[in-house]
Order: sequence, then C-alpha cells, then structure tokens
Amino acid sequence: MTSIKITILELGNWFLQPLWHSRWIILPVITSICVMAMLIGAVIAAPREIIEGDVQRLMYIHVPSAIISYLAFGITAVASAILLINGKLYWDAIARASAGIGLLLTFFALSTGAIWGKPIWGIYWTWDARLTTTLVLFLIYSSYLLVRNLGNANDTRAARYAAIVGLIGYLDIPLIHFSVDWWRTLHPQRIVFDIRPSLPTEMLIVLGIAFLAVLSLVLWLILLSATTEYLHQQVGKLSGDLDQMES
Amino acid sequence: MRNIFIVLKKDLQIAWRDKTGWLSSFIFSVILIFIYAFAFDLAKTNSELLLPGILWTTFLFSGIIVCNQSFQQESATGTLDAMIASPISQTSIFFGKFFCNLISLSIVQFMIVVLGTIMFQVNLLKIEVILVIFLGTIGFVSLATLLSAFEYRERFRAVLLPVIELPILIPLLLAGVQASSSALEISNTSSPWLIFLAIFSLWGFLGSILLFPLVNEK
Repeated sequence: MTSIKITILELGNWFLQPLWHSRWIILPVITSICVMAMLIGAVIAAPREIIEGDVQRLMYIHVPSAIISYLAFGITAVASAILLINGKLYWDAIARASAGIGLLLTFFALSTGAIWGKPIWGIYWTWDARLTTTLVLFLIYSSYLLVRNLGNANDTRAARYAAIVGLIGYLDIPLIHFSVDWWRTLHPQRIVFDIRPSLPTEMLIVLGIAFLAVLSLVLWLILLSATTEYLHQQVGKLSGDLDQMES
Repeated sequence: MRNIFIVLKKDLQIAWRDKTGWLSSFIFSVILIFIYAFAFDLAKTNSELLLPGILWTTFLFSGIIVCNQSFQQESATGTLDAMIASPISQTSIFFGKFFCNLISLSIVQFMIVVLGTIMFQVNLLKIEVILVIFLGTIGFVSLATLLSAFEYRERFRAVLLPVIELPILIPLLLAGVQASSSALEISNTSSPWLIFLAIFSLWGFLGSILLFPLVNEK
C-alpha cells in the first residue's frame, strides 16, 4: 500500500514539477491559442442567431466571464479562509489577485450584458436577479480591495480584515441570489447546463472553447498577479530587515 | 456570562455618559425621515407604499452610526488592546458589544417607529412589525459589530464602514422591507420573507461569533 502511494506521489512529481517550472511558457501559449480559437469561433465559425442577430455573439464572452468570476471569488474566499487559519501571507497574495481578476470579469459580464440588453430587452439595465447579484458581488469585492489597500503588502492586519470581508461576501452570495430572485426576475432561462441544451451544437462547441479561453486567461492572470503581490511582500520584508540592520 | 455582563455594563455606562452615539443616530434618523418626506412629497403620494423602505433605510443608516462608535473610542485610546490582553475571551467582548449595540439601536428604532406612527398615520406599533424589526436588527447588529471592530485609520472610518456593510446587508434590507410590507398589510407576497430574515440573522450572528476572535488575533 505504501509503495503504491509513493509511486503515485513520484508520478505526480514527475508530471507536475516540469509543468510548474514551465508555467510562464505553457499558460501564455495555451491562452493565446484558446483566445484566438474563441475569437475565430465567435466571430466567423458560429452560426448567426436568427432572432437576436450578431449581438448574440457577445454570449461567448458574457457567459464564461460571469460564471468564471464566481470561481475567481471562490478562490479569494478559500484563500481568505486559509489565511485566517494559518496566517501565511502568500494566501493573501492569492486572495487579492483573484479578487482583482474576479472584479475585471464581473465588469466584463455586466458591460457585455448591458450592450446585449439594449437591442434585445430595449434597456441597458434591469433589476433582474442574476444581474443584481452580479452587481452586488462587484460592490462587495470592490470593498474587499478597498479594505486590503488600507495597508501595504506586508500588513497582516489589513490582510486579515480583507479576508473576513472576502469570506463573508462569498458566503452571502446564495442569500443575495435567493432574496433578489424572490424580489424579481427577468433573465433568460439557463441554456447551457440544462440536460437537453437548447443551443445548436456549433454554438455549444464555440462556447466550450470560450470557457477554456477565459479560464486559462484567468488562471494566467491570477498566477501573474499573485506572484507580483508575493514579490511585493518579499521586497517589503527585505527592506524592513535592512532598515533594522542599519539602525 | 459574567464577563459579557461586565463588558455590556461598561459599554452602556460609556454610551449613557457620552450620549453622542445614540443621540446623533436618533437625530440623524429624524432628519432622514424629513428628507424622505420632502424628496418624495409624502403628503401627496401614497406614503404607505414607501413606508417600509423608508423605515429600513433609516434603520440601516442610524445603525451604522451606532455600531461605528462601539470600538471607536477604545481603539483611539488603546483600551481595546488592554481588553484583548485581559483574561476576558474575545467571544465575551463580542457579546458585550453586541448586546450594547442591540439595546442602543432598539431604543433609537422604537423612537423612530413612534415618530413614524405619528407622522404617517400608520400604526407601526404592531406586534408583527416589531417582530420583523427585531429579527432584522439581530442580523444587522451582529455583522455591524464584527465589521466595526476593524481598526481603520480615523479618516477612512466614516466612509469605509457603510461601503463594506451595505452591499453585504442587501438581502436583509430586501427581506426586512418585504416582511414589513406584509406585516403592515401593504402587500401580500407569497415568498416566506420572515423565515428568510430569520435565516439571514442566524447566519450573520453565527458567522460574526466565529469570525470575531480572528479580527484582533495577535
């Protein structure tokens, strides 16, 4: 049993270590390929929707952005929880990075939704359940970043405060969604995760590629941003040590 | 239990001697109601429909003022660090602050409700309305006590607290307004808003108890 465990671990190391070492090559390459494929698919390959016309093509960026923003905020919540438990500041770097990227995605989702809404619904904005929940999420994580920016990269107190906001904000999502859903709803019914999808296969394939493109882009950006944040922490720590030595 | 009572007694004494916290909160609420009356011309329009919204926004804004002050003085004088270093558990400190804020805000809310009954000619002193307000206040005060424990720099404090708290409290505002509308028989919604309000308050209360010791961890 132990030998099997060791073999699995060795295999994992053999596979994961080179992957991790070449992350700055693999992720940009995969992202570039996927984003190009998404653009070609969305603009040229995917059929034109009969009723909505070309504006429906915004769906290929809107839906993945909206769904993956929840993943980014989820990473912030998990990293915040771990930071609160073990106090290691690199979890703060991850939480802060994914909150920023999540905000960017939410902004994309809200703005593409508004551009789509004008010709289809006749309005840029409506107080629909999913729209409102996304806007509230945007506000919560904006306040998360505001709290985090009260201190510098090495400020453990600001990191802890932000982590509490990040965690409560994420746990608040189901409550916000239910409350706004009961309040009112107008959003088109889900067409992606139904058992019998109402989207044609070509559109589903392009949407799948768009998901991959946004996901790889987000992972790359989070990793990049978290590494920068971590380096900021290290520089801050070193300059603090230097100041101490000089005095 | 004894420690909770000590913290509560100390905070109530400070609140009674200082009076700035709950008095400014009450005066602000009265001004807010006047502003709403002027802005929406409540003498002409059907004020009953707007009343739950006016009440709950007033409660939220006045509550933020009350809870904002619960740690402000201690944070400025450094007494908070002494309290944390003392043998009193963080949970006892939270409960003491929570009950003090609950009592202060309930007094302010009672005065607003009486004022609203007189000014809008709607009986707000119904047991159903009071139950809705009390349930919502528990959730609100729990989260506001937790978030006001953050030691912000003085110039950020007044702006940051509402910015952090209000988006998190949107479900509470919606549930409070809808449940109050039902209690006042203004509208009949099929959704169980009162149960939702209770769930939100329980969530806020338990979450705050669990997270409060982590705010000032040394």
